[in-house]
Amino acid sequence: MDFLAFMVRGVWAKKARSIGLALAIAFAVLIVVTLQVSSSGLERSAAAVISVGRANITVVQKGVSDVLSSTIDQSELDRISRVRGVASAVGVLVATEHLSSDTPLFIEIGIFPKDLAAFGVTVVAGHPYAATATNQVMLGWRAAANLKLHVGSRFYAQQTWNTVTGIYSTGNAFGDAGAMFPLPSVQGFNRLSGVVTLVFVKVTGTGSAKNIAAVVHRIEYSMPELTTITTATQFGRADQNLVYLQAAVTASSVLAVAIGAVIVGNTMLLSLFERTREFGLLRAVGWTRRRLIALLLGESLLLALIGAAAGVGLSFAVIALLERIPSLVGVLHANFTADAFTRGLATAVGMTVLGSLYPSIRAARLVPLKALSYE
Amino acid sequence: MSDTGDSQSSAAAVELRRVTKSYEHGYRALDEIDLRVAQGEFVAVTGPSGCGKSTMLHLIAALDAPTSGSVLVDGHDLLTFRDLSEYRRNHVGLIFQFHNLLASQPIEANVEAVMFGNKMTAHERRERASDLLAQVDLAGREHRLPTQLSGGERQRVAVARALANHPKLLLADEPTGSLDSASADRILDLFRQVHEAGVTIVLVTHDVAIAAAADRTIHVRDGKTVEGVSATPHRGQES
Repeated sequence: MDFLAFMVRGVWAKKARSIGLALAIAFAVLIVVTLQVSSSGLERSAAAVISVGRANITVVQKGVSDVLSSTIDQSELDRISRVRGVASAVGVLVATEHLSSDTPLFIEIGIFPKDLAAFGVTVVAGHPYAATATNQVMLGWRAAANLKLHVGSRFYAQQTWNTVTGIYSTGNAFGDAGAMFPLPSVQGFNRLSGVVTLVFVKVTGTGSAKNIAAVVHRIEYSMPELTTITTATQFGRADQNLVYLQAAVTASSVLAVAIGAVIVGNTMLLSLFERTREFGLLRAVGWTRRRLIALLLGESLLLALIGAAAGVGLSFAVIALLERIPSLVGVLHANFTADAFTRGLATAVGMTVLGSLYPSIRAARLVPLKALSYE
Repeated sequence: MSDTGDSQSSAAAVELRRVTKSYEHGYRALDEIDLRVAQGEFVAVTGPSGCGKSTMLHLIAALDAPTSGSVLVDGHDLLTFRDLSEYRRNHVGLIFQFHNLLASQPIEANVEAVMFGNKMTAHERRERASDLLAQVDLAGREHRLPTQLSGGERQRVAVARALANHPKLLLADEPTGSLDSASADRILDLFRQVHEAGVTIVLVTHDVAIAAAADRTIHVRDGKTVEGVSATPHRGQES
């Protein structure tokens, strides 16, 4: 028999306590993983906006709470176009519309047809809309499939019936699940005449990191009211809500760990009183303090692993349920990342080590003779 | 008071020099006691309840420290030992009156548990535990829990556990106190075998018949050794 088997038996012998402890750990892991997976999904959806154009740089208004609240006017767009090193600058207006309960957040992108190629749009069926049309639309291929529409179909959006003139592909799931309208049409519907949300910039040459950094510097230096994003991880620079969300997730995780550690500590202390004679005996027959601590921490870590596995399993179920809540359909896109599971495991291990360290040390410091006569 | 047996001239396995053990409330369990146990000797310690004989055993087992005086093992003062855990694990085999087995672990694991920390593989530990359980007539019951055994069988497991690390010194505190005669005799036979193998034994008992199996009997009264007895009274008599 090895030490691990000895440990497992110790855990198994106190089933009720072990199950209770594993459940407490599982609950904390469930909270952390669910929050992380949900926020990561929201972040991914939001960050996908900037990836639609497959540009080197996305320019956004600085300090906005939500990237879709960004407003960049025509004069700023023109200035960006004239920055040295910029090959093209495409301004788009991104808005959302509630189409139905199944599609509560439908993405609508206003863009001039002449900019489609530079924006990375490929028309896969039909043709683009006219630049000044007021009732023409192109659908992303995913949107067309979801809505069961095709070229020539009629599509009700922006409070009017529009004719689907073409189906496009951007290579981006987010962009392909939306629709594109002539820019003035979206500006008019949203009462944002002459304004775009984002500017997608392609730099001249090969688009090396050095070139991109130089253009970023020039744009931000000459237009301090704007900010630039070159990778999805920089998205927080343009979307304060996301920063707040991440802070809330971190705070909730810390709280879950702290509460969990208190529960683990309390249970372990009760266990210490229950098992005082056992620990006294082990010390009396020659166990070192270190081995006793290893036993207790090992038992706790074993429960942490069981709790973590249960917590992750539960988080799948809970997220599946959350995604079915009508108000969250189409909004919450679960994103199960390695990071979420790592955080779950770290939560389980962290709260267990924190909670069981003091009781373990206290057990190791028991005087064998007193512990043996403990009633 | 000094114990004056034949062992005086041989190298002492255990020696107590003017050992006193007092407790906070002033009670003096041992009062400047002297004791010398020779290598390979089988010594029984008798005396009425509360006379200090268990305290003496606890001091030798390094489960407690004397208030004054010295406890020497193989000529070395226990206070100078850097690692008392190692001493308890490998030098001493300890048997309690109520066996003190781990209820959650099978008896084989109870025996193996004292071998953790020694340089042995899991296979070597299992083999050693199995051999010892066979020696105490518990072969084939290795996977039973202590609660599935009788009192006598549990005490035999405790003996097997005490012998696991080949101790030089076996300390037993009323090992037959809670057993019927047949079980007590079986335990005594085991002690004789262990003694024949050269292990020094210090046995605390009320039972003069059990004490009679020893080479020498030390009587303790009021925290002092009062005499060295070598008589062999009938089993069951109180000394």
